[in-house]
Amino acid sequence: MKTLLSWLLWLWIGLVIVAGYALVPPLAGFVGGGESSRILFFHVPMAWTSFVAFLAAGIWSALYLGRKTRQRRHDLAAAAAVEIGLVFCLLATLSGAWWAWVEWGGARWELSAFWNWDPRQLSITAALIYYAAYLALRSQVADAEVRGRIAGAYAVLGLFVAPFLFFVAPRMATFSLHPEPVINPEGDVQMDPSVLWLLLAGSLGFTVLFFWLHNLATRLAILEDRNEVEA
Amino acid sequence: MSGRASSWASEAAAVFVKDWRCELRTRYALNTLGLFALTTLIVVSFVLGPVGAVPELAVTVLPVVLWLIVLFAVTAGLPRVFVAEEETHTATALRLAATPSALFCGKLLYGLTVVVALEALITPLFAVLVKMPVARPGLLAAALLAGGYSLAAGSTLVAAMVAQARTKSALFAVLLLPVLVPGLLFAVQLTRIAVSGEVPGQELRMLLLYDGTLTVAGFMLFPFVWNP
Repeated sequence: MKTLLSWLLWLWIGLVIVAGYALVPPLAGFVGGGESSRILFFHVPMAWTSFVAFLAAGIWSALYLGRKTRQRRHDLAAAAAVEIGLVFCLLATLSGAWWAWVEWGGARWELSAFWNWDPRQLSITAALIYYAAYLALRSQVADAEVRGRIAGAYAVLGLFVAPFLFFVAPRMATFSLHPEPVINPEGDVQMDPSVLWLLLAGSLGFTVLFFWLHNLATRLAILEDRNEVEA
Repeated sequence: MSGRASSWASEAAAVFVKDWRCELRTRYALNTLGLFALTTLIVVSFVLGPVGAVPELAVTVLPVVLWLIVLFAVTAGLPRVFVAEEETHTATALRLAATPSALFCGKLLYGLTVVVALEALITPLFAVLVKMPVARPGLLAAALLAGGYSLAAGSTLVAAMVAQARTKSALFAVLLLPVLVPGLLFAVQLTRIAVSGEVPGQELRMLLLYDGTLTVAGFMLFPFVWNP
């Protein structure tokens, strides 16, 4: 059953990739006759999945902090979610920088062509640093109980800080390269329905992929933890 | 009920008074935060000169430099509020004596007064040494107060975290900076408006909202960080 589900997941993601190239028309207003817009179907789901991962890490941490639900596996699950979320976050940052290089940097071989001072580039980098700091904190506390409490509090604090980084701070900026049709103050979606459906399908696929990876990582962490306690 | 509330307030006040008494005896904050900020200030003034005479530079550069000086001074000195308690082994007594939320409140007030005192010392000197024009002094004061509060609230919570970790001061900066990013963004923008004299927008409201968020998060999370 589990193997079947994982094959279904791979099939789903494969179909999203194929559809991203074959099904959706190139979007107007992008470089290369709109062909460069196809990175959208990977960049947006990755950014979304990292957001889901950090949210999940906060929820597991809150479970660990709760007196009645304090179990080691919640703390290990939160750490695993941050580790995998950081990979997605890094990939979203890199794919975004690559896209910016093609789209606005004129594909020039200069560092400034990758960095466009977009508020969202800043906020995702701050999120990267935040959760890298979470892992640094974990590595610096020897006792597992103390580590779970302190790192857990830091991950829950992230739930308070992240909305400001992702939603409030970018609004203060006077310009953004991120298209208004997708991210606008009114919250309307103003784009081609096929693009929207594919984005949703991609996000769903990547989210399931995250939880699958997370399940493996948490089980591994629990086994390692048990090994350490016994040794 | 009122008795419980007044004992909570007196606990918080006792922590606040105790920290200031320690400070007046050791002059630790004065020696680290104050001297650190003064040294940086002198270096900045040597390198930049009367840069505020050029209006464009005054608006774009000076607010950032001012907040960087305050931020780095805070990262150098404020972890002490909890690290000292662990190092002198007074943390256990404090755990027994005070309610966590009252303790957090007292430490937060101490941190806030230290940061505000630092800003009151540094900002006029800064304004003179780099010739920073101030079009709206009231707004500048509001920015310093509200921005200083977010620095104090963030660093009080993070200091309690690193006090129980192996490396302390290096980890403090790493953990604190990403927490402070939104607050600093708003504070710098608000200072920019105070310097240029533009019409302020949502910045002060956003900064106060962030202050409130950090306060709620601090009171909520501190008991978990503090109590074994």
